[in-house]
Amino acid sequence: MKTLAIKIHEAWLVTLMAGLMSSTQSKHILFDFADILFRHFRWIEAEMVKAGESYDYDRDMIPIQVDKLSIILNNIIMRLNQIDLQIIGIKRELSNRMSSDLSYMREMIAHLSDEEVHAFHAKRKLEYIPLSEEATDALTLFLFEESSKEYELIMIYNYLNAHSSDLYLSRVFQDLVDESLFHLKQFGDMMAKMGILGVPKMVHKELYQSIKIEAFLLAGIDEEIAAKEECRKLSEAVASNSKELAKFFDFINNQESYHIVLMQDALAYWRSKNG
Amino acid sequence: MDAQLIEHLMEPKNYGSMSDADSEGIGKNPLNGEKVAIYLRVSEQDGVPIIQDIRFQAIGCTTTVVAGSMITQEAKGLDFKKADELVNTTMQFLEQISPSDAVCTEMVAIALKASMDTYRLRKGDPDHPAVTYQVQHSCTLKEGETE
Repeated sequence: MKTLAIKIHEAWLVTLMAGLMSSTQSKHILFDFADILFRHFRWIEAEMVKAGESYDYDRDMIPIQVDKLSIILNNIIMRLNQIDLQIIGIKRELSNRMSSDLSYMREMIAHLSDEEVHAFHAKRKLEYIPLSEEATDALTLFLFEESSKEYELIMIYNYLNAHSSDLYLSRVFQDLVDESLFHLKQFGDMMAKMGILGVPKMVHKELYQSIKIEAFLLAGIDEEIAAKEECRKLSEAVASNSKELAKFFDFINNQESYHIVLMQDALAYWRSKNG
Repeated sequence: MDAQLIEHLMEPKNYGSMSDADSEGIGKNPLNGEKVAIYLRVSEQDGVPIIQDIRFQAIGCTTTVVAGSMITQEAKGLDFKKADELVNTTMQFLEQISPSDAVCTEMVAIALKASMDTYRLRKGDPDHPAVTYQVQHSCTLKEGETE
Protein backbone atom coordinates (compact mmCIF):
# COMPACT_ATOMS: atom_id res chain seq x y z
CA MET A 1 0.00 0.00 0.00
CA LYS A 2 2.95 2.31 0.65
CA THR A 3 3.98 2.34 -3.01
CA LEU A 4 0.36 2.85 -4.03
CA ALA A 5 0.06 5.84 -1.69
CA ILE A 6 3.23 7.41 -3.13
CA LYS A 7 2.00 6.95 -6.69
CA ILE A 8 -1.39 8.48 -5.89
CA HIS A 9 0.28 11.37 -4.06
CA GLU A 10 2.41 12.09 -7.14
CA ALA A 11 -0.54 11.72 -9.55
CA TRP A 12 -2.61 14.09 -7.39
CA LEU A 13 0.10 16.77 -7.57
CA VAL A 14 0.68 16.36 -11.32
CA THR A 15 -3.07 16.59 -11.99
CA LEU A 16 -3.36 19.68 -9.80
CA MET A 17 -0.39 21.26 -11.62
CA ALA A 18 -1.95 20.37 -15.00
CA GLY A 19 -5.14 22.15 -13.89
CA LEU A 20 -3.08 25.21 -13.01
CA MET A 21 -1.36 25.10 -16.44
CA SER A 22 -4.62 24.97 -18.37
CA SER A 23 -6.33 28.16 -19.52
CA THR A 24 -9.51 26.48 -20.79
CA GLN A 25 -12.47 24.55 -19.37
CA SER A 26 -10.10 21.58 -18.93
CA LYS A 27 -8.80 23.40 -15.84
CA HIS A 28 -11.95 22.59 -13.86
CA ILE A 29 -12.02 18.94 -14.96
CA LEU A 30 -8.40 18.54 -13.91
CA PHE A 31 -9.04 20.24 -10.57
CA ASP A 32 -11.97 17.89 -9.93
CA PHE A 33 -9.82 14.88 -10.81
CA ALA A 34 -7.04 16.14 -8.56
CA ASP A 35 -9.60 16.33 -5.72
CA ILE A 36 -10.67 12.72 -6.43
CA LEU A 37 -7.04 11.56 -6.36
CA PHE A 38 -6.47 13.36 -3.07
CA ARG A 39 -9.47 11.50 -1.63
CA HIS A 40 -8.02 8.21 -2.91
CA PHE A 41 -4.80 9.14 -1.17
CA ARG A 42 -6.63 9.76 2.11
CA TRP A 43 -8.54 6.49 1.87
CA ILE A 44 -5.37 4.49 1.24
CA GLU A 45 -3.71 6.33 4.11
CA ALA A 46 -6.64 5.41 6.38
CA GLU A 47 -6.18 1.76 5.35
CA MET A 48 -2.48 1.94 6.20
CA VAL A 49 -3.20 3.49 9.60
CA LYS A 50 -5.80 0.78 10.28
CA ALA A 51 -3.32 -1.93 9.28
CA GLY A 52 -0.58 -0.35 11.44
CA GLU A 53 1.65 0.04 8.39
CA SER A 54 4.39 2.65 8.72
CA TYR A 55 4.50 5.23 5.95
CA ASP A 56 5.60 8.73 5.13
CA TYR A 57 4.91 11.40 2.51
CA ASP A 58 8.26 11.03 0.70
CA ARG A 59 7.93 11.07 -3.07
CA ASP A 60 9.99 11.55 -6.21
CA MET A 61 10.74 14.90 -7.74
CA ILE A 62 8.06 15.75 -10.26
CA PRO A 63 9.18 17.48 -13.46
CA ILE A 64 6.28 19.44 -14.92
CA GLN A 65 7.78 21.98 -17.30
CA VAL A 66 6.07 21.38 -20.65
CA ASP A 67 5.03 23.63 -23.51
CA LYS A 68 1.96 21.58 -24.53
CA LEU A 69 -0.73 20.40 -22.12
CA SER A 70 -1.00 17.07 -23.98
CA ILE A 71 2.47 16.09 -22.69
CA ILE A 72 1.41 16.38 -19.06
CA LEU A 73 -2.00 14.80 -19.80
CA ASN A 74 -0.25 11.73 -21.28
CA ASN A 75 1.96 11.65 -18.22
CA ILE A 76 -1.12 11.65 -15.96
CA ILE A 77 -2.68 8.79 -17.95
CA MET A 78 0.55 6.80 -17.57
CA ARG A 79 0.52 7.47 -13.81
CA LEU A 80 -3.14 6.43 -13.52
CA ASN A 81 -2.31 3.18 -15.37
CA GLN A 82 0.49 2.51 -12.89
CA ILE A 83 -1.86 3.14 -9.96
CA ASP A 84 -4.43 0.74 -11.43
CA LEU A 85 -1.76 -1.99 -11.54
CA GLN A 86 -0.91 -1.36 -7.88
CA ILE A 87 -4.43 -1.65 -6.47
CA ILE A 88 -3.92 -4.93 -4.69
CA GLY A 89 -4.30 -5.97 -1.10
CA ILE A 90 -6.93 -3.39 -0.22
CA LYS A 91 -10.58 -4.02 0.55
CA ARG A 92 -12.68 -4.86 -2.51
CA GLU A 93 -15.18 -2.00 -2.20
CA LEU A 94 -12.36 0.53 -2.21
CA SER A 95 -10.41 -1.10 -5.04
CA ASN A 96 -13.60 -1.28 -7.14
CA ARG A 97 -14.32 2.37 -6.52
CA MET A 98 -10.75 3.43 -7.31
CA SER A 99 -10.56 1.32 -10.47
CA SER A 100 -13.82 2.78 -11.70
CA ASP A 101 -12.61 6.35 -11.00
CA LEU A 102 -9.26 5.71 -12.68
CA SER A 103 -10.90 4.26 -15.77
CA TYR A 104 -13.26 7.24 -16.09
CA MET A 105 -10.52 9.80 -15.51
CA ARG A 106 -8.21 8.18 -18.09
CA GLU A 107 -11.00 8.21 -20.67
CA MET A 108 -11.88 11.86 -20.00
CA ILE A 109 -8.28 13.08 -19.90
CA ALA A 110 -7.53 11.33 -23.20
CA HIS A 111 -10.24 13.47 -24.80
CA LEU A 112 -9.19 16.84 -23.43
CA SER A 113 -8.05 19.30 -26.09
CA ASP A 114 -4.40 20.17 -26.35
CA GLU A 115 -3.34 23.73 -25.53
CA GLU A 116 -0.17 25.74 -25.34
CA VAL A 117 1.17 26.11 -21.81
CA HIS A 118 2.41 29.52 -20.66
CA ALA A 119 3.00 28.66 -17.02
CA PHE A 120 6.81 28.42 -17.24
CA HIS A 121 8.02 31.38 -19.32
CA ALA A 122 9.26 33.15 -16.16
CA LYS A 123 8.25 36.60 -17.48
CA ARG A 124 6.68 37.38 -14.10
CA LYS A 125 4.06 39.72 -15.48
CA LEU A 126 0.36 39.73 -14.69
CA GLU A 127 -1.92 40.77 -17.50
CA TYR A 128 -3.27 44.33 -17.06
CA ILE A 129 -1.45 44.70 -13.72
CA PRO A 130 1.78 46.69 -14.02
CA LEU A 131 4.05 46.10 -11.03
CA SER A 132 7.39 47.66 -10.15
CA GLU A 133 10.46 45.40 -10.12
CA GLU A 134 10.50 45.54 -6.32
CA ALA A 135 6.82 44.58 -6.04
CA THR A 136 7.31 41.79 -8.61
CA ASP A 137 10.25 40.35 -6.64
CA ALA A 138 8.29 40.55 -3.38
CA LEU A 139 5.28 38.87 -4.97
CA THR A 140 7.48 36.15 -6.53
CA LEU A 141 9.09 35.25 -3.21
CA PHE A 142 5.74 35.39 -1.42
CA LEU A 143 4.16 32.97 -3.91
CA PHE A 144 6.99 30.42 -3.70
CA GLU A 145 7.16 30.66 0.07
CA GLU A 146 3.41 30.49 0.64
CA SER A 147 2.61 27.80 -1.94
CA SER A 148 5.19 25.55 -0.27
CA LYS A 149 3.78 26.46 3.13
CA GLU A 150 0.20 25.64 2.08
CA TYR A 151 1.29 22.26 0.72
CA GLU A 152 3.21 21.61 3.93
CA LEU A 153 0.11 22.47 5.98
CA ILE A 154 -2.09 20.21 3.84
CA MET A 155 0.24 17.29 4.51
CA ILE A 156 0.71 18.00 8.23
CA TYR A 157 -3.01 18.50 8.97
CA ASN A 158 -3.82 15.50 6.82
CA TYR A 159 -1.38 13.34 8.80
CA LEU A 160 -2.76 14.62 12.09
CA ASN A 161 -6.28 13.92 10.86
CA ALA A 162 -5.38 10.38 9.77
CA HIS A 163 -4.06 9.65 13.26
CA SER A 164 -6.77 11.41 15.24
CA SER A 165 -9.72 9.60 16.76
CA ASP A 166 -11.16 12.82 18.17
CA LEU A 167 -14.13 14.04 16.13
CA TYR A 168 -13.77 17.70 17.10
CA LEU A 169 -10.07 17.89 16.24
CA SER A 170 -10.65 15.90 13.06
CA ARG A 171 -13.17 18.45 11.87
CA VAL A 172 -10.77 21.33 12.55
CA PHE A 173 -7.89 19.52 10.82
CA GLN A 174 -10.08 18.75 7.80
CA ASP A 175 -11.23 22.40 7.61
CA LEU A 176 -7.60 23.51 7.65
CA VAL A 177 -6.68 20.98 4.92
CA ASP A 178 -9.55 22.28 2.76
CA GLU A 179 -8.57 25.90 3.34
CA SER A 180 -4.94 25.23 2.46
CA LEU A 181 -5.98 23.32 -0.67
CA PHE A 182 -7.89 26.41 -1.76
CA HIS A 183 -4.97 28.72 -1.01
CA LEU A 184 -2.54 26.43 -2.84
CA LYS A 185 -4.78 26.59 -5.91
CA GLN A 186 -5.09 30.37 -5.68
CA PHE A 187 -1.35 30.95 -5.31
CA GLY A 188 -0.59 28.31 -7.97
CA ASP A 189 -2.98 30.02 -10.35
CA MET A 190 -1.18 33.33 -9.92
CA MET A 191 2.21 31.61 -10.33
CA ALA A 192 1.02 30.01 -13.58
CA LYS A 193 -0.18 33.39 -14.86
CA MET A 194 3.23 34.89 -14.03
CA GLY A 195 4.99 31.96 -15.73
CA ILE A 196 6.66 30.70 -12.54
CA LEU A 197 4.67 27.59 -11.67
CA GLY A 198 6.56 25.02 -9.61
CA VAL A 199 5.70 21.90 -7.63
CA PRO A 200 5.88 22.60 -3.88
CA LYS A 201 8.85 20.95 -2.25
CA MET A 202 8.50 17.60 -0.52
CA VAL A 203 7.69 17.86 3.18
CA HIS A 204 10.31 16.52 5.58
CA LYS A 205 8.85 13.66 7.65
CA GLU A 206 10.13 15.23 10.85
CA LEU A 207 7.50 17.96 10.39
CA TYR A 208 4.55 15.58 10.68
CA GLN A 209 5.72 12.31 12.22
CA SER A 210 7.17 13.65 15.44
CA ILE A 211 4.72 16.46 15.93
CA LYS A 212 3.74 17.86 19.32
CA ILE A 213 0.25 19.21 18.76
CA GLU A 214 0.29 22.03 21.31
CA ALA A 215 3.65 23.43 20.14
CA PHE A 216 2.63 22.97 16.51
CA LEU A 217 -0.62 24.90 16.97
CA LEU A 218 1.13 27.69 18.87
CA ALA A 219 3.78 28.01 16.15
CA GLY A 220 1.06 27.76 13.50
CA ILE A 221 -0.83 30.69 15.01
CA ASP A 222 2.37 32.78 14.95
CA GLU A 223 2.99 31.79 11.32
CA GLU A 224 -0.54 32.73 10.33
CA ILE A 225 -0.09 36.12 11.98
CA ALA A 226 3.15 36.57 10.00
CA ALA A 227 1.41 35.45 6.79
CA LYS A 228 -1.37 37.97 7.43
CA GLU A 229 1.24 40.70 7.78
CA GLU A 230 2.86 39.62 4.48
CA CYS A 231 -0.56 39.78 2.78
CA ARG A 232 -1.18 43.22 4.24
CA LYS A 233 2.20 44.49 3.02
CA LEU A 234 1.65 43.02 -0.45
CA SER A 235 -1.84 44.47 -0.60
CA GLU A 236 -0.41 47.91 0.21
CA ALA A 237 2.48 47.50 -2.23
CA VAL A 238 0.22 46.65 -5.17
CA ALA A 239 -2.81 48.80 -4.26
CA SER A 240 -1.73 51.75 -6.40
CA ASN A 241 -1.18 49.47 -9.42
CA SER A 242 -4.07 47.09 -9.04
CA LYS A 243 -7.13 47.30 -6.84
CA GLU A 244 -8.03 43.76 -7.96
CA LEU A 245 -4.75 42.29 -6.68
CA ALA A 246 -4.97 44.31 -3.46
CA LYS A 247 -8.48 42.92 -2.90
CA PHE A 248 -7.16 39.38 -3.46
CA PHE A 249 -4.55 39.77 -0.75
CA ASP A 250 -7.09 41.32 1.63
CA PHE A 251 -9.37 38.34 0.93
CA ILE A 252 -6.55 35.86 1.72
CA ASN A 253 -5.62 37.93 4.77
CA ASN A 254 -9.17 37.69 6.13
CA GLN A 255 -9.24 33.95 5.52
CA GLU A 256 -6.01 33.62 7.53
CA SER A 257 -7.80 35.38 10.41
CA TYR A 258 -10.28 32.54 10.61
CA HIS A 259 -7.49 29.93 10.46
CA ILE A 260 -6.12 31.54 13.59
CA VAL A 261 -9.53 31.19 15.27
CA LEU A 262 -9.73 27.52 14.23
CA MET A 263 -6.26 26.85 15.61
CA GLN A 264 -6.97 28.75 18.83
CA ASP A 265 -10.15 26.68 19.31
CA ALA A 266 -8.23 23.47 18.62
CA LEU A 267 -5.52 24.55 21.07
CA ALA A 268 -8.05 25.34 23.83
CA TYR A 269 -9.81 22.02 23.21
CA TRP A 270 -6.50 20.09 23.23
CA ARG A 271 -5.48 21.73 26.50
CA SER A 272 -8.85 21.00 28.11
CA LYS A 273 -8.49 17.32 27.15
CA ASN A 274 -4.84 16.98 28.07
CA GLY A 275 -4.60 19.13 31.16
CA MET B 1 15.94 38.57 -9.38
CA ASP B 2 17.82 36.83 -12.20
CA ALA B 3 16.64 34.04 -14.47
CA GLN B 4 18.91 31.44 -12.88
CA LEU B 5 17.49 32.15 -9.42
CA ILE B 6 13.92 31.87 -10.70
CA GLU B 7 14.73 28.55 -12.38
CA HIS B 8 16.06 27.18 -9.06
CA LEU B 9 12.87 28.43 -7.35
CA MET B 10 10.61 26.83 -9.94
CA GLU B 11 12.42 23.52 -10.15
CA PRO B 12 14.96 23.00 -7.38
CA LYS B 13 17.65 20.56 -8.47
CA ASN B 14 18.43 17.40 -6.45
CA TYR B 15 15.61 17.91 -3.94
CA GLY B 16 14.44 14.81 -2.08
CA SER B 17 15.67 11.88 -0.05
CA MET B 18 17.96 9.03 -1.14
CA SER B 19 17.08 5.60 0.19
CA ASP B 20 20.44 3.98 -0.73
CA ALA B 21 22.71 6.85 0.29
CA ASP B 22 26.28 6.09 1.43
CA SER B 23 26.19 8.99 3.85
CA GLU B 24 24.00 11.73 5.31
CA GLY B 25 24.89 14.99 6.99
CA ILE B 26 22.88 17.68 8.67
CA GLY B 27 23.30 21.44 8.88
CA LYS B 28 21.23 23.01 11.58
CA ASN B 29 20.18 26.42 12.86
CA PRO B 30 19.63 25.88 16.61
CA LEU B 31 17.90 29.25 16.98
CA ASN B 32 14.87 28.46 14.83
CA GLY B 33 15.00 24.69 14.28
CA GLU B 34 15.63 24.99 10.53
CA LYS B 35 17.83 22.29 9.06
CA VAL B 36 19.20 20.84 5.86
CA ALA B 37 20.00 17.17 5.26
CA ILE B 38 22.35 16.17 2.44
CA TYR B 39 22.55 12.61 1.13
CA LEU B 40 25.48 11.36 -0.92
CA ARG B 41 26.09 8.38 -3.14
CA VAL B 42 29.85 8.02 -3.38
CA SER B 43 32.19 6.06 -5.63
CA GLU B 44 35.95 5.81 -5.20
CA GLN B 45 38.63 6.19 -7.85
CA ASP B 46 42.14 5.26 -6.72
CA GLY B 47 40.99 5.72 -3.13
CA VAL B 48 39.56 9.18 -3.83
CA PRO B 49 35.85 9.54 -2.98
CA ILE B 50 33.74 11.15 -5.67
CA ILE B 51 30.17 12.45 -5.29
CA GLN B 52 28.24 10.34 -7.80
CA ASP B 53 24.83 11.59 -6.77
CA ILE B 54 23.47 14.03 -4.23
CA ARG B 55 20.09 14.95 -2.76
CA PHE B 56 19.02 17.43 -0.15
CA GLN B 57 15.98 18.13 1.97
CA ALA B 58 15.27 21.28 3.92
CA ILE B 59 13.12 22.37 6.78
CA GLY B 60 13.50 26.02 5.99
CA CYS B 61 12.66 28.90 3.75
CA THR B 62 12.84 29.45 0.00
CA THR B 63 16.38 30.85 0.22
CA THR B 64 17.57 27.58 1.79
CA VAL B 65 16.03 25.59 -1.06
CA VAL B 66 17.64 27.83 -3.68
CA ALA B 67 21.04 27.58 -1.94
CA GLY B 68 20.61 23.79 -1.69
CA SER B 69 19.72 23.54 -5.35
CA MET B 70 22.74 25.62 -6.43
CA ILE B 71 25.33 24.07 -4.13
CA THR B 72 24.29 20.45 -4.73
CA GLN B 73 24.36 21.11 -8.46
CA GLU B 74 27.93 22.40 -8.11
CA ALA B 75 28.95 19.48 -5.90
CA LYS B 76 27.65 16.69 -8.11
CA GLY B 77 30.56 14.88 -9.78
CA LEU B 78 33.26 16.52 -7.61
CA ASP B 79 35.83 14.54 -5.66
CA PHE B 80 35.84 15.23 -1.90
CA LYS B 81 38.86 17.54 -2.14
CA LYS B 82 37.12 19.79 -4.63
CA ALA B 83 33.86 19.55 -2.67
CA ASP B 84 35.76 20.68 0.47
CA GLU B 85 37.02 23.65 -1.56
CA LEU B 86 33.43 24.39 -2.61
CA VAL B 87 32.40 24.42 1.06
CA ASN B 88 35.30 26.75 1.97
CA THR B 89 34.62 29.13 -0.93
CA THR B 90 30.95 29.25 0.01
CA MET B 91 31.80 30.02 3.66
CA GLN B 92 34.08 32.90 2.59
CA PHE B 93 31.29 34.32 0.44
CA LEU B 94 28.84 34.56 3.35
CA GLU B 95 30.12 37.93 4.59
CA GLN B 96 29.12 39.51 1.28
CA ILE B 97 25.43 38.61 1.47
CA SER B 98 22.55 39.53 3.76
CA PRO B 99 22.43 37.81 7.20
CA SER B 100 19.32 35.79 6.36
CA ASP B 101 20.77 34.63 3.01
CA ALA B 102 24.07 33.88 4.75
CA VAL B 103 22.58 31.65 7.42
CA CYS B 104 20.54 29.67 4.85
CA THR B 105 23.56 29.22 2.56
CA GLU B 106 25.81 28.28 5.48
CA MET B 107 23.31 25.62 6.55
CA VAL B 108 23.63 23.94 3.14
CA ALA B 109 27.44 24.25 3.04
CA ILE B 110 27.91 22.69 6.49
CA ALA B 111 25.40 19.93 5.65
CA LEU B 112 27.58 19.02 2.66
CA LYS B 113 30.66 19.04 4.88
CA ALA B 114 28.80 16.95 7.48
CA SER B 115 27.80 14.39 4.87
CA MET B 116 31.37 14.04 3.59
CA ASP B 117 32.62 13.72 7.18
CA THR B 118 30.00 11.02 7.85
CA TYR B 119 31.35 9.13 4.83
CA ARG B 120 34.93 9.46 6.09
CA LEU B 121 33.96 8.29 9.60
CA ARG B 122 32.01 5.33 8.24
CA LYS B 123 35.21 4.02 6.65
CA GLY B 124 36.29 3.12 10.18
CA ASP B 125 32.85 2.58 11.68
CA PRO B 126 30.12 1.62 9.15
CA ASP B 127 27.40 2.34 11.74
CA HIS B 128 28.56 5.85 12.53
CA PRO B 129 25.52 8.15 12.83
CA ALA B 130 25.05 11.11 10.53
CA VAL B 131 27.25 14.07 11.48
CA THR B 132 25.45 17.32 12.38
CA TYR B 133 26.98 20.80 12.35
CA GLN B 134 25.41 24.02 13.57
CA VAL B 135 25.51 27.36 11.78
CA GLN B 136 27.71 30.13 13.14
CA HIS B 137 25.83 32.97 11.45
CA SER B 138 22.58 34.45 12.67
CA CYS B 139 19.56 35.78 10.80
CA THR B 140 19.59 38.82 13.07
CA LEU B 141 20.95 42.03 11.59
CA LYS B 142 23.98 43.54 13.29
CA GLU B 143 23.98 47.25 14.05
CA GLY B 144 24.24 49.26 10.86
CA GLU B 145 23.48 46.26 8.61
CA THR B 146 20.63 46.18 6.13
CA GLU B 147 19.01 43.30 4.25
